[in-house]
Amino acid sequence: MPPLLTLAWIYFRIGLIFVGGGYVLIPLLNHIMVEQYKWLTLRQFLDGLALSQLTPGPLAMLATFTGFRAGGFLGGLVATVFIFIPCVMLMLIIGRNYHRLKNIDLIRTTLDGLLPAVVGLVAAAAWNLGMSSLSGVKEFIILAIGFAVFKWTMVNPMIVILGAGILGLLLN
Amino acid sequence: MAANGKQVTLTEIFLTFAKIGITGFGGGMAIVALVERTCVKEKGWITSEEFLHGLAFGQILGPFSLNVCTFTGHHLRGIRGGIIAATGFILPSFLLMSLLSRLYFTYNKLPQLQAALKGTNPVIIGLILVVAIDMGRKQIKGRNGILMALAAFSATVLVKLNAAWVLLAAAVWALGVSIYRRRHT
Repeated sequence: MPPLLTLAWIYFRIGLIFVGGGYVLIPLLNHIMVEQYKWLTLRQFLDGLALSQLTPGPLAMLATFTGFRAGGFLGGLVATVFIFIPCVMLMLIIGRNYHRLKNIDLIRTTLDGLLPAVVGLVAAAAWNLGMSSLSGVKEFIILAIGFAVFKWTMVNPMIVILGAGILGLLLN
Repeated sequence: MAANGKQVTLTEIFLTFAKIGITGFGGGMAIVALVERTCVKEKGWITSEEFLHGLAFGQILGPFSLNVCTFTGHHLRGIRGGIIAATGFILPSFLLMSLLSRLYFTYNKLPQLQAALKGTNPVIIGLILVVAIDMGRKQIKGRNGILMALAAFSATVLVKLNAAWVLLAAAVWALGVSIYRRRHT
C-alpha cells in the first residue's frame, strides 16, 4: 500500500491538469492507475468509471474509487481532497476578484456578451442527456411530468428527484 | 450578502449544498440546474447574471458542478463559504462512492442502482430544460444573443465540441464585439 503522502501528491498533480477540463481525466487516471502503478486492472477501472457516474459528484469521484483501491477509506479520502484542491482554489481566486473584474468595463461587456453561449450549453446538455438516456414512451412521459412540475410549481426539486428515483426502482 | 442583507450562516450553506450533493443524480448540468433553482430562485442568494458568470468561469476551469458550488459559497461568505459549499457538495458523493467501492471490491459486481437512475434521468432532463428556458428568457436579448445561443448549442450537439472550447470562442467573440462597439460609439 502506498503511503498517504504519495497518494496526496499524485492526486494533487492530477487535479492541476484536471483544471483543463473534465474528460481529460479518464485517459490520465487510466495511465497513472492502471499502467504506471498497476493498482487496478482495466476492467476494474472501467467499472469504477461507471460507479462514479452513479453519484451526483463530478467524474473526478473516480479519484475516490481508485484511492480506495490503493489505500482503503483513508486513501480514498486523501485522493478526493487533493484532486479537488486546485480547482477549488482557482474558483476562490476568481470569486475574490470577481467584483473588481466586473467593474472593468471591457470585461463586463465581454462577460455579458457570452452569456447566451452559456445558455446554449445548458440546453445542449439537456439534449445530449436526452439522446443518450431516453428510450421509451414511459420515459418521455416522466420527462413531461418533471418539466411541468419544475416549470409551473415551486415544489422542492429534491423531493421530485427522490420520488422519481423510487418510481424508477418500482418500474424497472 | 443575501438579497435581504442578512448574512447567511455557514451551517446553512453547508446543509444547502449537502442537500444538492445528495439529490443531484445526473451530475454536471443537473447540479447547475439544482443550484440555480435553489440559490437563485428559492433563496435569492445570488442574481441570475452573477450565477451565469460563475458558470462561465466554472465551465472553463474543469469540474463545473463543483466550481459553481464553490463560486456561490464564496459569493455568500468569502473563502470559508466557498470551501464549505464545496465540501458540503462533495461529501455525500464521497461517502456513497466509498460505500460503492467497498461493495465493489468485496463482491466484485455493480449494485442495482441503475434502475433508480432510469427514473431520475428524465426528470433531471426536465429540470435542465426549465433552467435553460428561464435563463434564456432573462439573458438572451436581441438577434445576436439568439444567434450565439444557437451557435453554442449546435457546436456542442452537432460538432461535439468540448464546452470549454465553445465558451472560449464565445468569450473571444464577445470581447471583439465589445472592442468594436467601443471604437464606434
